[in-house]
Amino acid sequence: MYSEANKRCDLKTLLRYVRDGDCVAIGGGLSWREPMAALRELIRQGIGGLRLVGSAHGIDVDMLCGAGLVASSAESYVGFEQDFGMAPNYRRACESGTVEVYDSCCYTLVQQLRAAIAGLPFMPIRSVRGTSFMPLHPEFKTMFCPFTGEELVLVPALQPDVAILHAQYSDAHGNLHIEGPPVADILFARASRTVIATVEKIVPHEQLSEIGVTIPYFYVTALTEVPYGAHPTSCYPFYAYDRRHTAEYYRCASEGAEVFRARYLQSYVYGCPSHAEYLEAIGGAEPLQRLATWEQGVDAWRDLYD
Amino acid sequence: MIDRSTPSSCSLGEVMIYQIARTIEDGIVAFHGFGSPLVQLALHLAKRTHAPRLVLVAGATYGVNPTPPFLAPTTNDWVMDRGAECHLDIEELFDLAASGRVGRMFLSGLQIDRWGNMNVTRLGQERLKLKLPGGGGGCNLSCDAQHVTIWTAAHRAPPDPNGRRRFRLVEGCDFVTSVGHRTTDGKTRSDMRYRGHGPDWLVTELGIFDFDEAGHARLAAVYPDVEVAEVRKNTGFEFPMREDLSSVVLPTPEMVALIRALDPLRVHERELRPEERARRFPVT
Repeated sequence: MYSEANKRCDLKTLLRYVRDGDCVAIGGGLSWREPMAALRELIRQGIGGLRLVGSAHGIDVDMLCGAGLVASSAESYVGFEQDFGMAPNYRRACESGTVEVYDSCCYTLVQQLRAAIAGLPFMPIRSVRGTSFMPLHPEFKTMFCPFTGEELVLVPALQPDVAILHAQYSDAHGNLHIEGPPVADILFARASRTVIATVEKIVPHEQLSEIGVTIPYFYVTALTEVPYGAHPTSCYPFYAYDRRHTAEYYRCASEGAEVFRARYLQSYVYGCPSHAEYLEAIGGAEPLQRLATWEQGVDAWRDLYD
Repeated sequence: MIDRSTPSSCSLGEVMIYQIARTIEDGIVAFHGFGSPLVQLALHLAKRTHAPRLVLVAGATYGVNPTPPFLAPTTNDWVMDRGAECHLDIEELFDLAASGRVGRMFLSGLQIDRWGNMNVTRLGQERLKLKLPGGGGGCNLSCDAQHVTIWTAAHRAPPDPNGRRRFRLVEGCDFVTSVGHRTTDGKTRSDMRYRGHGPDWLVTELGIFDFDEAGHARLAAVYPDVEVAEVRKNTGFEFPMREDLSSVVLPTPEMVALIRALDPLRVHERELRPEERARRFPVT
């Protein structure tokens, strides 16, 4: 239990909770509320050998793969959907063998987390039998149900070493408020040994109470206020998905590992020792203000994606 | 600019959206995944036409009955969640499926075999040749959802310079991400005691298949500009045909106008190859 009154720290300190070789669960999903500033800091600190678990991800996992920090992936999806297509760095890392592929599926992951949350050794599921996930995951066992006689799959408890989340609001005590789809963040927070979070804004507890606590403070180890901390993914209501920046990311990633390092990571990660410098590198206030225009109405919102 | 005039023709994407919509029953819980704009639009079309009581659960946001003002280029965007009546948790949706309460799911694959087994995980059996994005919750839902509509907009497998075709509809999958009617060791769904009944439709840009008693894909309809021989040439396995093989039913002008209003950015066309985007069909 994390009961300190004040969980605030700076971004550098926050990422020291992640250690080489950790099993890491990244919050958010696809182009929504990825803890990108925290992951950029992770890359700057060069914390590697990470074993990733998760449901549906994109640029977050792809960027860590491009930085060479990932040892294995048990994600159930990593890609840029129909928007840009397959994840270039993730593909290269998997195909060259630097990342071991242990793909999983969403409900399997959910049940594994639930087992960890409840302190049980496993949870049963009826699905997965008959698919190639069984030989890929020899740790999944089968049993005949003593009540019904049907064959079930037992998936072992999964306790990530650390969950890295990005939320809109928190208080200093570590209560988090997530507005919009929480994806698997709540499960990750309940199941993981350590939970670190970046938030758009830290507010007094009374204010947080009014909008509601999504994740109680005692799960949360440490947190940092990082406005635009999910950029270029979205963190509504503050900002929409930065499709332009993602297109630039994708172009660099598509041209190969070296180009990605030299053109993207150097420009936006290694070359920006702080988050403030990152925000300058992406163009300062102008693009950020543009991403807030979604609130002006449907036409403005649509124009962001045209 | 959004064209508000009454359409006299429609595109392949619009016909495919309608074909997928036709597989959706009224009053059920149906869920779409991510990266699948054709399916997202099919659900919204169905809800606004023949299936008003549909419980539409949006993939990624898990919003129920949203009314997105336009289709966003990615699935987990607040655009796609606008107007949602309520929300599910990730675990709630999958629990509903596991307990037999999700009526229909939509799945696709880079490899699809005659039984409806699919692969979106990897190409290459011994050695990994191509890492695909992965199946999300498709593995679980292929077992648990009551019914599955399979779709692909890349059935056509043009020969390479050496005359070889890389089929989408294949003899066998390199990896079984989601299950159809027969496992690789020959077991049926009832042998496996899966919760759901498996795929009952396969919608492609060349034709529509149902699945026969044995669970084998069977050609049921072809598009007006496609010959059966062309479907055979582009399919990696032999398949039976329905005796009443028909021509694909085209959407009405009102449906086409509705699809255009739902997707002004034409996001769904990214699922189609450029040459397929040019296909046109009359609507009356």
